[in-house]
Amino acid sequence: MYRLSKLRFGFPVFLFLALFLDGAVSQVFSVQMFRYPTTMVSHLVVLWLVCGVIFEADGAFDMPLARWAAVAGAVFDLYYTGIFGVYVFIFPLVIYVTRQLVAWISPNFLSGLLIYFIDIAVVEGLGYLASRAVHLNDAAGSAFLVNTLGPTLAFNLAMFVILYFPIRWVYNWLK
Amino acid sequence: MQKFSLNRRLVIIIVCVIVSFALMTVSVAVRNKKATPPLVQQFGNDIVGLVDRVVAIPTNGLSGSVSSISELLNTYQENQQLKKQVSELAQTKVRDQTLAKENKQLKKEISLNNSLTDYTAVTASVITRTPSSWQNQVVINKGASAGVEKNMPVMSGSGLIGRVAEVNKTNSKVELITDNNDTANRFAVQISTKSGKTVNGVLSGYNANTGQVTMNNITTKAKITKGDKVVTSGLGGVTPKGLYVGTVAKASGDDYGLSTKLYITPATDLSDLNIVTVAVTKQ
Repeated sequence: MYRLSKLRFGFPVFLFLALFLDGAVSQVFSVQMFRYPTTMVSHLVVLWLVCGVIFEADGAFDMPLARWAAVAGAVFDLYYTGIFGVYVFIFPLVIYVTRQLVAWISPNFLSGLLIYFIDIAVVEGLGYLASRAVHLNDAAGSAFLVNTLGPTLAFNLAMFVILYFPIRWVYNWLK
Repeated sequence: MQKFSLNRRLVIIIVCVIVSFALMTVSVAVRNKKATPPLVQQFGNDIVGLVDRVVAIPTNGLSGSVSSISELLNTYQENQQLKKQVSELAQTKVRDQTLAKENKQLKKEISLNNSLTDYTAVTASVITRTPSSWQNQVVINKGASAGVEKNMPVMSGSGLIGRVAEVNKTNSKVELITDNNDTANRFAVQISTKSGKTVNGVLSGYNANTGQVTMNNITTKAKITKGDKVVTSGLGGVTPKGLYVGTVAKASGDDYGLSTKLYITPATDLSDLNIVTVAVTKQ
């Protein structure tokens, strides 16, 4: 029923809204989020994609999530970082990982929190490895865990708790 | 069948990793060597930048109005203090204008067209910030059509904050000096010591733990003390002379005791940027 629902247009609109909000949140709260040496990275676009997989399992119809994830990743790479070829692969991988996890664990609010924890760790870990590989940073692995991964997980899990029910409402409205 | 599908998955993963590395390498090379990104990327970034403004302008406006309400509370006291400063500033400004005029006339006299200190300022506002901990970048709303070119220095408040890393038609990316990649913060700078000597050098990195810019490999005998001002030296081309970087916080021997290592406190708060100035030099 994906073709006939409002999701067909609503999904990409909210996807790009989340993508741009990531940048806007980072800019507005930059004093709090980029308090060196610790950094909190906002991943609202991953939240929207992961919630897509979770509510797709409820609604019993498929959405072309991996394709849209690749599009969002491409825009992220070109517009935000300028290094093409990183998030264009990581975002679809997140969709794949989440689908595998959802097949194992039936998703609800609490198991969704666990799934989202794994997804953010995957995104940040692979992003770190990729930028290490092309010499964009010289942070040690331990510094990455303490200064970036920890605060980022805390921020994004808080966002998940706050936004899970509003996003579910949006998906139900779009269906 | 199971084995085949496992193999196929492995092949897909390996191909993806190889393609990803190839793309990353190419885009890093393009970013380091070319003056502008490929036309397709430039066009795409311009479109995305326009759409982003729809989201960014209301959010930035919202945060602006919240902070202006909190600022309203201590406006009266601030106003009193600022009035005093303004009257002093007017005097400095007039003197500055006279000196600039005299400088221009003297330059004409010895037929010197452009010296290292000449630049025009292009003011831009920050649209958005890269949500990543590896790339400290902001996207500003001026691009090639406003005269911005790659590698131009960018200032905010009183000091240098970074350089232009990528130029599109209507927006560009600014790499901050807090970014620790291989090219981000290599600015040619000079320090005028208290004894009147000038020490030249190149910024070499950023220490995230202390929030200080570092400068390595200084072999001068001149004594550099805490509080000495660091400005760009204008050597090497694109950066004009005399942009304020910060003050020396600490001078210590490097790891092998052969040269001096400096720690410089940046003049501006690098995590709070709204309006920036691009120093456009005529070349």
